[in-house]
Amino acid sequence: MSETLARLNEVFQDVFEDEELSVQAETSAKDIDDWDSLMHVNLILAVESAFDVRFTSTEVAGLKDAGELLALIEKKQA
Amino acid sequence: MLPAPGIISPGLPGTPISTMDTPLLDRLFAYVESAHGRSLRGLNEAREQEPRRFAQVAELYLQWLVEARGESGIDAATDAFAQFSTDVNMAQARYERDGAYANKSFEEVYKDHYSDAEAMDGYLWGIYLTNFLWAHHFQIMMFFQDRFMSRLEKDAHLIEIAPGHGGWGAWALAHLPGASLEGYDISPQSIQIANAVAKAAGVDGRAKYVEKDALDLEKVQAESANACICSFLVEHLENPQHLYKVIHHLLKPGGTAFITGALTAAQVDHIYEYRYESELVMMCEKAGLRVLETLSANPMRTLPKAKFMPRSMALLVQKRRNEIY
Ligand SMILES: C[S@@+](CC[C@H](N)C(=O)[O-])C[C@H]1O[C@@H](n2cnc3c(N)ncnc32)[C@H](O)[C@@H]1O
Repeated sequence: MSETLARLNEVFQDVFEDEELSVQAETSAKDIDDWDSLMHVNLILAVESAFDVRFTSTEVAGLKDAGELLALIEKKQA
Repeated sequence: MLPAPGIISPGLPGTPISTMDTPLLDRLFAYVESAHGRSLRGLNEAREQEPRRFAQVAELYLQWLVEARGESGIDAATDAFAQFSTDVNMAQARYERDGAYANKSFEEVYKDHYSDAEAMDGYLWGIYLTNFLWAHHFQIMMFFQDRFMSRLEKDAHLIEIAPGHGGWGAWALAHLPGASLEGYDISPQSIQIANAVAKAAGVDGRAKYVEKDALDLEKVQAESANACICSFLVEHLENPQHLYKVIHHLLKPGGTAFITGALTAAQVDHIYEYRYESELVMMCEKAGLRVLETLSANPMRTLPKAKFMPRSMALLVQKRRNEIY
C-alpha cells in the first residue's frame, strides 16, 4: 500500500468512524453505506486538512471511487 | 402480511406506486444508481415522503425536460444536479468554518454566474431537478400546489419574478387553463430555458419571459397581477426589502404571492444571510403584505456537528386591503 493510500485509509476510518475500514482504489459508495453526498463533502474537507491541499467543487463532484480521490491528491501534491 | 381492508400501508396512500407508469423517473433513478451512487439516499428520502405524489410530479417535470432537451436530457440534467448539490454542500461546509457567507457583491455574482451562459445552463437544469429531488424542496412543491395554486382563479394573470428554469410558472399554467404569465429574470439563459419549458408544457402561448432586473419592476404597471411567484431570489440580493415592495407594487389588492427564501444555507450566489424565519415575515409585513401561511423545511441530514441548520422557507402572502389589517 502506498503511503498516501495508507494515510487516506486513516482519514476514511476517521470520517466514517470505522476502524475496520480498509480502503482500496475500487472502494466506492456501494461499499460504504454512509458515503452519501453530504458525507462526501465531509470526507473531502478531512482530506484537505490531512494532506494540506484544497479542492474545488467541480474536482470532487464526479469522483467515482477512492482511487480517483487518491489520484487527485497526488496530482495536487506533485 | 397484507394490511387489513381499509388500512393503507404507511407511505403508500391509494394505489401502489408500482401500478403507475413512470418510465422517465425509473430511468433517472437507474442513472443515479450507476453514475451518482452517493445521491441515491437523498432521492429515496424525497420519494418516500409521498411516493405517489412524488411519482406524478417527477414524471411530469421529466416529460418537460425530455421534450425541451431531448432523450439525453435526463442524464445531462442529473449530472448538473449532482454538481449543483456538491456545490451547495461544499459552500455550506466552508460557511460552517467561516461563520458567514462569502460576502460577494451582486455585481460580482452577476459577472461570474448569471451572465455566463454555459454555467447557467447546468445551474438552472440542476435546480430544476432539486425542486423535487431534494426532500425538503419537494415539501415546498406540495405547499405550492395545496396552498397557493389551489386558491388561484382559472383565468388569473401571474407575474413570476426570477423564474430561472420556469418550472413553477409552467406548472401553475398547466393547472389553470385560462391563466397567463409574464416572467422577468436577469439571466439570458433563464429566458431561453423558461421558454423551452413552457413550450414543452404546452403553455407557451400564455407565457412571456423578459430579461430584466427584478428591482426595476416598479416600472411595470402597478396592480397588474392577481398573483406573484418569486422563488429563491431574496437571498440573492444585497437589499431584499426592496423586492418585497416590488411584489406589493405588482399585486392587485387582495392578490396573493408565493415567496421562498433560503436561511443559513450558503451557495456561491447567496448574498443576504437570513438567520431567522421572522426576518422574512417582517420584510413582508413592512412591505404591506399579510402573511397567511408559512412552511419552513430542512434537509433530513446535515453535516456532522453543524452549527447551522440550512432551511428553505415558503410564504403565502396577500396584499393588504386596509392600512391596518
Ligand atoms: C436560485 S435561482 C431560482 C430559480 C427558480 N425561481 C426556482 O425557484 O427554482 C435564482 C434566479 O434568480 C435570477 N436572478 C438573480 N438576481 C436577479 C435579479 N436582480 N432580477 C431578476 N432575476 C434575478 C437568476 O438569474 C436565477 O435564474
